[in-house]
Amino acid sequence: MAAHGSLRASLLAALLLAAREARPEPAHEASPWYVPDHAAMQFAGAIGFLSAGPGWSFLEDTVEAALLVGWAPPALAGEDFFTFTLKGHWRPFRLDAAGWTVRPLMVGAMLSYTVGDDYFADLPSRYDRGYYWFRTAIRPALLLGASAGRPVEALNLRFVEGYFELVATDYRLVQFVRNPSTVNIELFTLALGVKLRF
Amino acid sequence: MRVWVTLLLVGVGCGAFEFHPYELRGPHRDLHARSLERLFGAEPKQAFRFAVVGDMQLFLDDSAAAMRDLEQRGVDFVVQMGDLTEFGSTQEYEWGVELLSRLKVPFFVVMGNHDALGMGQKLYRRTFGPESFSFTYSGTRFVFFDSNSREYGFPGDIPNLQWLKTALAPEPAVLNTFTFSHVPPGNGDFDDALVAPLVKLQQRQGVAISFHGHVHQYHDVHAHDVRYVTTDSMKGRSYLWVDVDGTSVQVQRATF
Repeated sequence: MAAHGSLRASLLAALLLAAREARPEPAHEASPWYVPDHAAMQFAGAIGFLSAGPGWSFLEDTVEAALLVGWAPPALAGEDFFTFTLKGHWRPFRLDAAGWTVRPLMVGAMLSYTVGDDYFADLPSRYDRGYYWFRTAIRPALLLGASAGRPVEALNLRFVEGYFELVATDYRLVQFVRNPSTVNIELFTLALGVKLRF
Repeated sequence: MRVWVTLLLVGVGCGAFEFHPYELRGPHRDLHARSLERLFGAEPKQAFRFAVVGDMQLFLDDSAAAMRDLEQRGVDFVVQMGDLTEFGSTQEYEWGVELLSRLKVPFFVVMGNHDALGMGQKLYRRTFGPESFSFTYSGTRFVFFDSNSREYGFPGDIPNLQWLKTALAPEPAVLNTFTFSHVPPGNGDFDDALVAPLVKLQQRQGVAISFHGHVHQYHDVHAHDVRYVTTDSMKGRSYLWVDVDGTSVQVQRATF
């Protein structure tokens, strides 16, 4: 129950935050805050072979949220994996040069949910309370990355942006904190992606 | 373009990309079969020594220290008593295998309840082979099985006593029999209804030692003619080593 509750709470918090921060954003005056202003597509990153979904930007694109649906096919991952992921990014810096916009630092977090009976979001009744302290269906992760992009007028897109992300999932973080010399750089895996801003 | 594709393929090869925490992917496959090939590929020893190491879970750096200690003392093979991982993730399976591989001797891994989480059961089978298996080395029979009853919701056939009965059937050439399973009988995670039948079966078939993990605490007791030995977790910085010479069996606890 606790996991569901906290998931719901964080979703609500993200939505409230989005609602409040949408107002001072002049570029989106025409559409209400809940209309996505970009689409993201990602390769790898613990949430599928490919994942894609709508995104919302605020405060001149320094704060972003995205909701991604991910899939990994059996041919590549040995099994079907379906995930839903909520992501938040903060990109405080921006460099403009020769038509390109570079965001040299992106820090973020995500919470992904894996669909299926093999995973639990609530601790099944066969276990005592606290038997496992984590939930196999729910995966928090910290993100660190950067992006670069430019307008592509031919496609009538405001902006096309490529990004990379270092993804540190919960089990990697926990194992790294406890066992730094064994885990080492395997704290992170790499995700690559594209964002299309309309 | 070709450069990017090459870089991407190199990244995939190096494991830089993860599609899912429980993906069934990676270089390690059927490791128990390979361990057996190596064990029986060499000249069999009449007197041999193997190590029994406990739950690794969140204690990977301690496990690395155990491997260094074991390397100095020298063993013929290693048995890890399950809970190789905490979350049952693919990457943790790989870390566990990488640690055990540092010893350059064959190793066998028992299925632990944590290792069965998510896609864990499939990961275990892919990485090591079936949960239940046995072999006889130099007159000593080694029998491994899954005793994580609670993990599967107490289905009534975990542990699988039918299989165990066959595996423990009398054989003239067998001098000693050891069994290995993660949850010790009598623990709340072991199917209550199967405790008495298991204890009886092990007694009747002359099991010398029943090895376990799970409780993270060293125990060594005799019950119904069978010795039940439980290893510390790696956090306890101890493991067991077992010397076998014909019918002589000695278990010692090593700290590091």
